[in-house]
Amino acid sequence: MDVDAEIRDFSTRRRLPQAYLERWLHLDQSGRSALLELARALKFRTGQLVAALDLLDEISVREQTSAAKILARPPLRRLVSGSGSAPERAHAVLEELRAIRFPRLRETTERLEAAVAALHLPRGIKVLLPRELASDELTIQLAASAPGELDHLLDALLKKRGDFARILAMIGGDDDV
Amino acid sequence: MTFDVDALVVEEESRGSALADRLVGALGASVPVTYVSDAREATRAMLGADPLGAGKRRLVVRKRRAPFLMGCPAGSAQFACCGYLVLILASNCPMDCSYCFLQEHVANNPAFQIYSNFHDSCEEMDRLAHSAPGRHFRVGTGELADSLALDSVTKLSVDLIEFVREREHLTLEFKTKTDEIENLLKLDPRGRAIVSWTLSPDAVWKSSEHRTASPSARIAAARAALEGGYRVGFHFDPMIAYQGAERDYLLLVDQLLSAIPARRISLLSMGGLRMTPELRRAARRRFPNDPMLLGEEVLGSDGRLRAFGALRVRLYRALRERFERAGARIPTYLCMESRAVHERVFGVVPANPAKIGERLALG
Repeated sequence: MDVDAEIRDFSTRRRLPQAYLERWLHLDQSGRSALLELARALKFRTGQLVAALDLLDEISVREQTSAAKILARPPLRRLVSGSGSAPERAHAVLEELRAIRFPRLRETTERLEAAVAALHLPRGIKVLLPRELASDELTIQLAASAPGELDHLLDALLKKRGDFARILAMIGGDDDV
Repeated sequence: MTFDVDALVVEEESRGSALADRLVGALGASVPVTYVSDAREATRAMLGADPLGAGKRRLVVRKRRAPFLMGCPAGSAQFACCGYLVLILASNCPMDCSYCFLQEHVANNPAFQIYSNFHDSCEEMDRLAHSAPGRHFRVGTGELADSLALDSVTKLSVDLIEFVREREHLTLEFKTKTDEIENLLKLDPRGRAIVSWTLSPDAVWKSSEHRTASPSARIAAARAALEGGYRVGFHFDPMIAYQGAERDYLLLVDQLLSAIPARRISLLSMGGLRMTPELRRAARRRFPNDPMLLGEEVLGSDGRLRAFGALRVRLYRALRERFERAGARIPTYLCMESRAVHERVFGVVPANPAKIGERLALG
């Protein structure tokens, strides 16, 4: 069976929407094969295949490169051949593709997560960054089951007031991104 | 500038109108002209690979039945707005920017419509001015169409300037990406007209702003308009936060300021590229290879995709600082951004839209 027939066969078994099959077949020869190899190795589900095709398409346009060259990048190759179950590796590969597609968003999020971790907040305080940094709201959740515990959490929060202000400023663009 | 026109359709009711005569006179020898009793059918999307692109080349002259004057459709209580009023004299645009919201907004009626009863818009503006004596209003024609793209043929700017220069409470803004200012230069607007240009770095122009004048040509046209007695303004909107954008936008500002002294600029606006998911789909269908449509955008609470906040704020601040360093306090606003973003960029709470609108009108 040639590669295109194998792709059609794989797509049929995954019930891949026709538009996505066409996009897959529209990739150059090495890109088509590389994605098929990836999808098989990691047992991609339909949604994962759709996400991979979307991300590869967008990265190709952003970076003016080909899907094959993207998939050949060492960090991705390491994830594909690394340890862990196929679903875990599939998840990791898609996360890596998202990081390539949204490099500054990923970097900023990681810096914010590090800043939150560095607060060493007690258990019972949970800090939630805005999803995908789409808003400028920081959510802080307190979970306490006794008045003393609540006092303790509130005290801890107040001590970190300046740090929270700094994190909010980072979300709002006060830090280098 | 020249644009391709495939057909000119004139509604019978508009036959003999000044606008129809100008268009038939200018285009009739090279473009088929059809007269129809009801032009609605001609405005609709036709079957084909690119109905919007085809619509841009089909000129339809008809009467506008809805009001010409309205609040800016981008306005919302969610945003710190500028109090802009828009005059809808045409719908669609012969230029073809990949990010343009018209790809969604006029998808069902993409023909390039121009309204023959445009004189009625003057009455509406007079009613507005009389409804609030003493207030100043900024009214612009560049919302659903470029203000000047076909002005060499329609000559609408002449009618409008002759009207507005007698009205001390109105300021008319022509918003454009062209260098079509010949008609403007024949008239003295007596301080009542602003010509404003959308400015983008060369990278955005080349990638996304098809059939528009180059940024350098726009700046040269602005210089000529200023010398011709017009106030000038600049819209850095949409700002696209691609890698290297900050450097490119600052170079563009430097280029602008080397041609136009900061103290002579009447207004500035900034706004990040925003697209509904549907607009993004439509834009990507039509321009699949434009990287400018693929920024690091996230979906905001207003249902639009924008580059995440920190990226936008950083760009806005960089430009604000560069203009401030030029030593003039230029009235500046953000388009479709929240009060919180406004505060972060300018360090102050934004005034209410009416007040901002008045300040921009007065310059």
